[in-house]
Amino acid sequence: MSTKEAILSALGKVSPPQFGPPSIEYETIRFSDPVGVFRSSLEAAGGETVDVEGDLEEIVRSSFFHSGEMIDTISGCVTEMPETPSLTILKAQLGVAENGAVWIDPADRYPRELLTLSESLAIILSKKTIVHNMHEAYEKISFENLSYGLFMSGPSKTADIEQALVIGAHGAIRLKVFLVE
Amino acid sequence: MGHAEKARDFIMDRDRTAWHDRALWFVRQKRDLAARSVPEWERLRESAARIKSHTLEHLAHYLELFEKNAIENGIEVYWASSAREHNLIVSSILEEEGATKVVKSKSMLTEECALNPWLESKGVEVTDTDLGERIVQLADDRPSHIVLPAIHLKKEDVSEIFARHLGTEPYNSDPKYLTRAARSHLRNKFLEADAAITGVNFALAEEGGIVVCTNEGNADLGSSLPNLHIACMGLEKVIPSKKELGVFTRLLARSATGQAITAYTSHFMKPAPGHRLCVVIVDNGRSALLASKHSSLLRCIRCGACMNTCPVYRRSGGHSYGTVVPGPIGSALAGARDMESHASLPSACTLCASCDNVCPVKIDLHRRINEEREESIEMDSFAAKRRILKIASFFMRHPVLYRFSLKATRVMLGILPKSIVYNRYNVWGRDRQMPIPAKKSFSDIYRSMR
Repeated sequence: MSTKEAILSALGKVSPPQFGPPSIEYETIRFSDPVGVFRSSLEAAGGETVDVEGDLEEIVRSSFFHSGEMIDTISGCVTEMPETPSLTILKAQLGVAENGAVWIDPADRYPRELLTLSESLAIILSKKTIVHNMHEAYEKISFENLSYGLFMSGPSKTADIEQALVIGAHGAIRLKVFLVE
Repeated sequence: MGHAEKARDFIMDRDRTAWHDRALWFVRQKRDLAARSVPEWERLRESAARIKSHTLEHLAHYLELFEKNAIENGIEVYWASSAREHNLIVSSILEEEGATKVVKSKSMLTEECALNPWLESKGVEVTDTDLGERIVQLADDRPSHIVLPAIHLKKEDVSEIFARHLGTEPYNSDPKYLTRAARSHLRNKFLEADAAITGVNFALAEEGGIVVCTNEGNADLGSSLPNLHIACMGLEKVIPSKKELGVFTRLLARSATGQAITAYTSHFMKPAPGHRLCVVIVDNGRSALLASKHSSLLRCIRCGACMNTCPVYRRSGGHSYGTVVPGPIGSALAGARDMESHASLPSACTLCASCDNVCPVKIDLHRRINEEREESIEMDSFAAKRRILKIASFFMRHPVLYRFSLKATRVMLGILPKSIVYNRYNVWGRDRQMPIPAKKSFSDIYRSMR
């Protein structure tokens, strides 16, 4: 008997359950102003929101005081990983009001590590895509053809030294979400 | 050595004990605020408990479904019935790839299997990349909490450890300075690594992928650079589908640290082109636990809320439990698996049930611990206590003898010199004063008033 068979037989019946898992049949949190709640949730998570009016690149540059090279994953694909990525612009597919998280699916547009190696992330999010809570978020996101996707809520952080919150553990040190209509 | 003996050194430092107690209570308070911000919180806990129970009841089905869909996604799936088999699988995958430098993000399972020493014996350099875990790894110490591994250390301790190992300025104990130093030290480890090992928070049966939650981003950075990602999971980590993630991602971080969600909630569904993603599913006593009366313990999602709220854990420190997972859940798990070696743990509990009330998956922790306490009395380490209880029960069954001995004790307590009353066998006289005996016993007074 293989290890797998031994484990499964120790667990008992393999037949599929007669009923599916219990579902959520009650009201989950909703907000009258999801965009406003998203702003404050992201702030609580150490990030920031910026409203975009006018030239996007200009606004991104000025809000990070950035003069060097910007890695743009929106207008084209990034195939080669730059040596020291400092600022990366990318698109998020969805935002979650209750926790300030954005859903990011790099697909084939840029390598996964760009998300953690970049010191600053400029994330473009359409206000229309902001949902109230995680239940709605998972309903909206398709996992078809998904290779790697993540909810990112603010920059990388840690409180492992005496519970003191420090922003910038291993990933991005600055994370701003640029809200577009 | 039992829990009380192991806690002694920790408690000796009164200031540190008080600080530890406050630090964890602060986390508990943050959890309360986060929980209160969700109106449907209690119903969410109920849903989480029911989803976990449902999955555990049909565990074989969901695990097979997970395996099938994961393989379709290009993920390699391995099964291990014991810690040893798990370690062998991991080291042989690393060997196939010729990997000798591994970056690891937090995984309680690999701690349980003692994977690090095993890999080190095979000549593999393992770097724990979670900041707290790296601190204790450098100090040759052990984590004392599952979410906050270095909660027993003060920033001055960390400063000393880093000065010795990373060459930081001695006596600079600014958390931001120390964190930045660790960031650049670990960045090199990430860039050099030829494999990443992570844990698994949730495995999705329907979609055939895994979810890993971190705040630091170490699982994401670690797994995206090298060609090999090995994810190790206990077999209880599987849930039906992404739909259920809505419930668990809302509960996990709020219960753990009071955050609305972890900074990174990452879904690994397929290996990146040219990369390998291997998932090792581990039993190591879990199927036996499932068949026992303590099966509710398998619902645990390792948030640590029961530790933060536990009046015993907060004042005795995580190391006093002598287990990988400390606190109420750790006690209960250790006792359910091997009572003989952990017979003192069920007594490291006030039965206040605060843990039950914060547990996001509603495990009946204090009930489990209470039942284990009954079992623990039968263990060898309680042989002396059992003999004493036998003598006590003999006296209680003989009223005349009982009354006489009580009277004798009252008299003796009054006249014996201190040096005899406070001897080393009288644990009731340790750190406290014996009561001043009353002149008349209750039954004497009762009889005289009748």
